[in-house]
Amino acid sequence: MKIFNFNEKYFLRNIMGAYMVNIGNQNEKVVVVNADLSGTCRNKTFTEIFPERAFNVGIAEQNMVSFAAGLAHEGFIPYVFSMAPFICMRACEQCRTDVAYANLNVRLMGTYAGLSGGISGATHWSVEDCAIMGSIANMIVLEPCDPIQAKKMMEATLKYNGPIYIRSTVEPVISIYNNDYEYKIGKASIVKDGVDGAYICSGITVKYALEAALRIEKKIGKSICVIDMHTIKPIDKEAVIKAAKTGNIVVAQDHNKIGGLGYYVAIILAEEKISTNFINLGVEDKFEAMAHAPYLYNKLGYDADGLEKAMINLINKN
Amino acid sequence: MTIVNVKELKKAALEIRKNLLKLCSIQSIHIGGDLSITDVMTVLWQYQMNYNPSNIRDENRDRFVLSKGHASAVTSFNQAAIGCFSTEDVFKEYATDEGRFSMHSCNLVNPYVEVSTGSLGHGFPVACGMAAALKLKKNFNSRVYVVMGDGEQSEGSIWEAVMNAVHYKLGNLVAIIDFNKLEADGNIDDITSLGNIANKYRVFGWNVCEFDGNDINTIKDYFDKLPPANSDIPTVFICHTIKGKGISFMENNVRWHAGKITEEQYKECIKELEYNFSC
Repeated sequence: MKIFNFNEKYFLRNIMGAYMVNIGNQNEKVVVVNADLSGTCRNKTFTEIFPERAFNVGIAEQNMVSFAAGLAHEGFIPYVFSMAPFICMRACEQCRTDVAYANLNVRLMGTYAGLSGGISGATHWSVEDCAIMGSIANMIVLEPCDPIQAKKMMEATLKYNGPIYIRSTVEPVISIYNNDYEYKIGKASIVKDGVDGAYICSGITVKYALEAALRIEKKIGKSICVIDMHTIKPIDKEAVIKAAKTGNIVVAQDHNKIGGLGYYVAIILAEEKISTNFINLGVEDKFEAMAHAPYLYNKLGYDADGLEKAMINLINKN
Repeated sequence: MTIVNVKELKKAALEIRKNLLKLCSIQSIHIGGDLSITDVMTVLWQYQMNYNPSNIRDENRDRFVLSKGHASAVTSFNQAAIGCFSTEDVFKEYATDEGRFSMHSCNLVNPYVEVSTGSLGHGFPVACGMAAALKLKKNFNSRVYVVMGDGEQSEGSIWEAVMNAVHYKLGNLVAIIDFNKLEADGNIDDITSLGNIANKYRVFGWNVCEFDGNDINTIKDYFDKLPPANSDIPTVFICHTIKGKGISFMENNVRWHAGKITEEQYKECIKELEYNFSC
């Protein structure tokens, strides 16, 4: 198994913003649309290399999404960059009506997913997006957790037909995957195998789950599976069923517990009549005051400490 | 089939109005805003636009976006007039389950709809994106025509796009405002006035044309005078129109924003239309 270094710090927005140049090189139909956050979204290199293919509509997210829809109607593949809350809330109706209704090849790239906006506060957090974007027909919802996956995910967006929403954290992530990692939209990645319990997670929570799983193995000898559910919608049903075989599922999401990954997992368990221990961890259904993201993850119980505790509690229940 | 003769265009507009009234006797439609924009739509579809119903993906076609999506009936009858489908199809299918025609235009069932619309303030920014895309593709001949309502000007997204269209030098974009002075709740001036809408567009840097939008002769003139599609400044037509134009009991009457007429009313309407518009 790969040796993980939990002190690593990779920043997905830097990686994904820079990688837009590769995406742009591969397909001349690729264009970028910003709303005054090309710096924040780290895609300025694309705008410098392909000035004709880069649009910046100013601080106007509704127009940003509608304008991108117009470009897509004419055969372009727009990558729309902003903070997740501004895409999925300020421009929610534009995402639904202008992009998804017409099933256009628009890629909505939302950084600042979950509470990762930290001290920027609730205006810049996005703990509703999986519920909002996931309930829009045609729209799929993705979330990368590591640098290689982020790039492969972006590669996959070149071949996928239809609208895509990608939420990504601004908190640092670690390296999870190797270069030979095979990424497929809709197919969950098993980061670590295990038979005594399973974490189902995405984005920032993958590293926390992995750390928790390794600690549990060391401390009490139980083997815990870590499933990276990078495609939140459409969720990988088989992976959920496999996780349930362990009898203990902990879902960890940087999202409101309501309407996030936990709900997507729970509906499969219910529909499949699967009985298992189950804990749904994420943001409580209340607004938090401004704080650094790791503090909040700890407070809300879905950092490595919280995930470790939750799983051990489940195992001890049996 | 393109009509170049003003007298024939007037006849065509009369035909559209008769169709609208007939449909209005079968189903509730947005008759007021259909009638106000009938003359502009007739000239646009039956004279101005380069659009071949048998080759609707032709790269060189002009694009049309109905930002005031509730004017779907007047659009459909004009599309029928140029051969996209038959006028009878519209009567038969309008507001039927999964029919091709309904209160708002929908591309899922009607391929002649470039952009599905209904919610206001959407079609215009989408049209801007299309116009920018045409320039990027080096298509310097096609234009994007977008028809908006006057009440729709209250949407913030309109003004986001107004600024962008100038910034991106979308001279291939022609925005048409059906300025009939009424919206669903009443007079625009009593709700949130547009003030001097022409000046507003002007200071944003648009080429502004303001004229009687119920006068076929004038409308045709303004289309003829459009700057070339490869110019740098977007054009807006501020069309002064009368809501419910042509039917005395509907004109300037907010009650007829949408509605259905009786068989009796329909007969009276046809008589009135023939009296008012027969050339």
